[in-house]
Amino acid sequence: MTQRFLIGQIRWLPLVLAFISVTGTFAQDEKQIAPVGRIYALTNVTVVPSPGKKIEKATVVIKDGLIQAVGTAVSIPTDAIIMKADSMYVYAGFIDGLSRTGVIKPKDEPNPQRPKDPGNPPADKAGITPQNDVRNSLNPTDKSVEELRNIGFTLAQVVPYGHFLPGTSAIVLLGGKSADEMVLVDQSGLYSELSGAQNVYPNTVMAVMAKWRELYRNASLTKSYQALYASNRSALTRPLNDRVEEAFYPVIDRKIPVVFKAEKILETQRVLTLKNDLGFSLTIGDLKEGYPMIDKVKTSGAKIFLSLDLPDEVKKNEKKSKNKNDSLKTAKTEKPKSAAELEKQGLEKRKNDAIVKYTGQAADFHKAGIVFGFSAMSAKTKDIQSNLRRMIAAGLPEEVALAALTTNPAKMLGLEDRLGTVENGKMANLVVSDKPYFNEKAKVRYVFVDGNLYKLDIKEPKKSNGSVVAKGNWSYTTETPNGTNNGKLTINDDNGTLSGTISNSTSGKGTEMKDVALDGNTLSFSFEYSMGGNTMKIDVSVKIDGDAFEGVMTPGKFGSFPMKGTRDPK
Amino acid sequence: MKNLKLIAACLFLYGVAQAQDKGNLLIKNGTVLTVTKGTLPETDVLVKDGKITQIAKNITAPQGVKTIDAKGLFVMPGIIDAHSHIALDAINEMTSPVTAEVAEADVVNPFQINIYRALGGGVTTIHSLHGSANAIGGQCVVLKLRYGTFDMNAMKMEGVPRTIKFALGENPTRVHGGGSNIVPRTRMGVEFVIRKSFSDAKKYMEEWDAYNKNKLVKGFRGASPVYNLRLETLAEILKGNIIIHCHSYRADEIFMLLKVCKDFGIKKITFQHANEGYKVAPELAAYGAMASVFSDWWAYKFEVYYSTAYNAAILTKNGVVTSINSDDAEMMRHLYHEAGKTQKYGGLSDEEALALITINPAKQLGVESRIGSLEVGKDADIAIFKNHPLSIYGVPQYTIVDGIVRFDRANDPADMRLMVDPKQNLEEATLSEKGVDRCMEGTEFLFTNDKN
Repeated sequence: MTQRFLIGQIRWLPLVLAFISVTGTFAQDEKQIAPVGRIYALTNVTVVPSPGKKIEKATVVIKDGLIQAVGTAVSIPTDAIIMKADSMYVYAGFIDGLSRTGVIKPKDEPNPQRPKDPGNPPADKAGITPQNDVRNSLNPTDKSVEELRNIGFTLAQVVPYGHFLPGTSAIVLLGGKSADEMVLVDQSGLYSELSGAQNVYPNTVMAVMAKWRELYRNASLTKSYQALYASNRSALTRPLNDRVEEAFYPVIDRKIPVVFKAEKILETQRVLTLKNDLGFSLTIGDLKEGYPMIDKVKTSGAKIFLSLDLPDEVKKNEKKSKNKNDSLKTAKTEKPKSAAELEKQGLEKRKNDAIVKYTGQAADFHKAGIVFGFSAMSAKTKDIQSNLRRMIAAGLPEEVALAALTTNPAKMLGLEDRLGTVENGKMANLVVSDKPYFNEKAKVRYVFVDGNLYKLDIKEPKKSNGSVVAKGNWSYTTETPNGTNNGKLTINDDNGTLSGTISNSTSGKGTEMKDVALDGNTLSFSFEYSMGGNTMKIDVSVKIDGDAFEGVMTPGKFGSFPMKGTRDPK
Repeated sequence: MKNLKLIAACLFLYGVAQAQDKGNLLIKNGTVLTVTKGTLPETDVLVKDGKITQIAKNITAPQGVKTIDAKGLFVMPGIIDAHSHIALDAINEMTSPVTAEVAEADVVNPFQINIYRALGGGVTTIHSLHGSANAIGGQCVVLKLRYGTFDMNAMKMEGVPRTIKFALGENPTRVHGGGSNIVPRTRMGVEFVIRKSFSDAKKYMEEWDAYNKNKLVKGFRGASPVYNLRLETLAEILKGNIIIHCHSYRADEIFMLLKVCKDFGIKKITFQHANEGYKVAPELAAYGAMASVFSDWWAYKFEVYYSTAYNAAILTKNGVVTSINSDDAEMMRHLYHEAGKTQKYGGLSDEEALALITINPAKQLGVESRIGSLEVGKDADIAIFKNHPLSIYGVPQYTIVDGIVRFDRANDPADMRLMVDPKQNLEEATLSEKGVDRCMEGTEFLFTNDKN
């Protein structure tokens, strides 16, 4: 059923793209300082060398890509660029355990032909390309690299696009000018997803699992025969060198793990089933729904990267109405609820409970004694900081959250000698924020990747002084690979409560906006787009400057598209 | 608020049930329909650690053991559905005419609300099959309806014989011949595909046997045959370790597969649907083949026209072990009515009719020593009815799996979902799951005009 849903989404994408559109590009919020000498001294800074520790009013010296000195009595080299970081905080650069940051997405095949014999497709059509090295599809200038770095990430374990067995992962620095400069560790794991091919074998999860077992067992057999052959080649048939099988050899030798993406509870159980059947070392990434199976996950010994994606927060007003006094009041003043209302209320409660469970997963894993990292794979980068704060509010201790971003993944990826802490001799991967990182108002000011400085210009948001007016009629444009589109926004202001509709010029039909909010000069809202029985939520966030706005429209997981608009003349 | 409390209480109950897995219970003073050992009025059934330990009058409840007062109620073995597709995340791997290697056991979904609804119909065990798109489909799974568990493996009945789905006739020829223009396009082609698969498996088995034998010889050096999970599975059928459950309608194709089985020495086979089974009932009985049929469902495609509601009765009277199945999430909730129809059409006795949904499907799954009747030593899978289950007034009150009450009509909250998608719109909350025939799920696109 999942498969069918996916196909549905893919068919739907061009239509979504047609609805929204793009013109112009983003203002770059960041400048890379030319790395002359590459000697820096951060002074008067609060250092968090490792989770739970703190050195105040310290100096950090960075030279040749390494941390040269950390402490309060550090002599600053005369040729260092001194960066006054008074009242700022410096942490080890964050590590993302699983994503496709900086990985080039292959173009979709236009009108893929239905194969002649769907049961015997070529290996690449079947999704069996474990020999692919993600290093061959890295792009250091991809926007995703900059975006993730801008919130403090300096390293990521990245995987190729595709399903089933798309290739090997690599651990890459989120900076550098070439793919080779980015790669810190190549072939860090064999990446796999339990999702099948379209229209060809293996199509269903059960066929993917069957094929997985067959490939692995055959690779084991060939590998031992190759060893036998190597020991004495006389009178033995030459073994064939099969690149697909060879890709399994380091897994069979337990030199690298199989890295599985598994968001949901059943996917996770299926991955554990394969691990039990075949005995490989396992890393699970992007886990969102592991909480009902914590004990099983723990005893499996798998390395875990929890997803940084979370479902939307429980709406505050819904929470309020669950307050006892309120419900008593409503009971007195309002007429009794209908069966339909009660049912809706029950459904709402179940959904909110699920949101709470998802948000509390990291805290639950910590309580169960599982050491975990985080993965950014399906998270929207702009939501990651607030999602971390939500996990902390749900009971995850701050120092554990920090460990999950730094020391834990460094250890899990075998890099603890080089990364994860702010210590002499470690690689200069650092993040500097103007307030403690988990503070709601914290902004990342500097990021060091491999000793290279990335400086973020912080535009102070204009204070809302009443001059920003969202109310009114606006025309917007967006542009997508499918062409330019435009439409209208109508925003009403009822004593500070905003509402409105969005329409596109093709259909002319208005869609109700949800969660309309004006924060400073940032107008945000979302709306739902229905097509073929599916509904997609599209988020919009734009900055209003007088009678114009600029920002982004984010349809589900299909990336973000710039959006521009002007106020209609009265 | 009351509703919410009830849900909370119920979830708690299920949390507990999940933790202990096997229950203790005393069912007092019911009319006990054992199916295999007659009907016992005013009798008690004692359950310990999920097994029936005593069936007698006036049993005193051991300390702390919960008692169900079944006075005036009917106590029968939990219903077994030999043909279902619920609790699965994938039904058809329809990309190839032979997919013996795939296993439904890998894609069990313990969260489907249909599981709970089946419990509401007195069902305790189901045979969840691969679909009928392929001549040789995937391996099926026998599930106990332990609704409440989050562990997909905990749903599986432990230590049961393996089963596999075959399919004859229109479905595999439409999907592969019609859809992909490959063999099989005809019924002859289906027979060829099956015979060729068995021949290949035989050869494969011989190659591996030879290799394993050679390996024992000191100093042996050589390569193993290529490992092939499909042929490996087919070889297990030839060895008698996997029971065939074959989707079939017409008498000629049923007879064809009997001949194929005979040629390859395969003894264990149950024909699913077998709408024309009544035409070859003596042949089925002589071979020891079994049949799992609908009570009165036919004419939904050309090959299913020549049918009769007397099918189950004729098969039974000819000595074929016969069951009545649902193949459908909705119909499985009233299989007791389906069984009752054989009393109208064929005049089966109560015991014969009840056997169609209890001990007979158990035999077809090779688990008759463990479930399918109320006997000391068997699993405590029990359905308790108000009014006789074969009566039109029969209504399930309690459904018990391994001694644990998994359905209690008096305590049946509205929202029994175990997992809720926190990103799903409220309006889309899937409280209703479709109950249509899912035998051909995943293949629908082949039958539209768009055939790119």
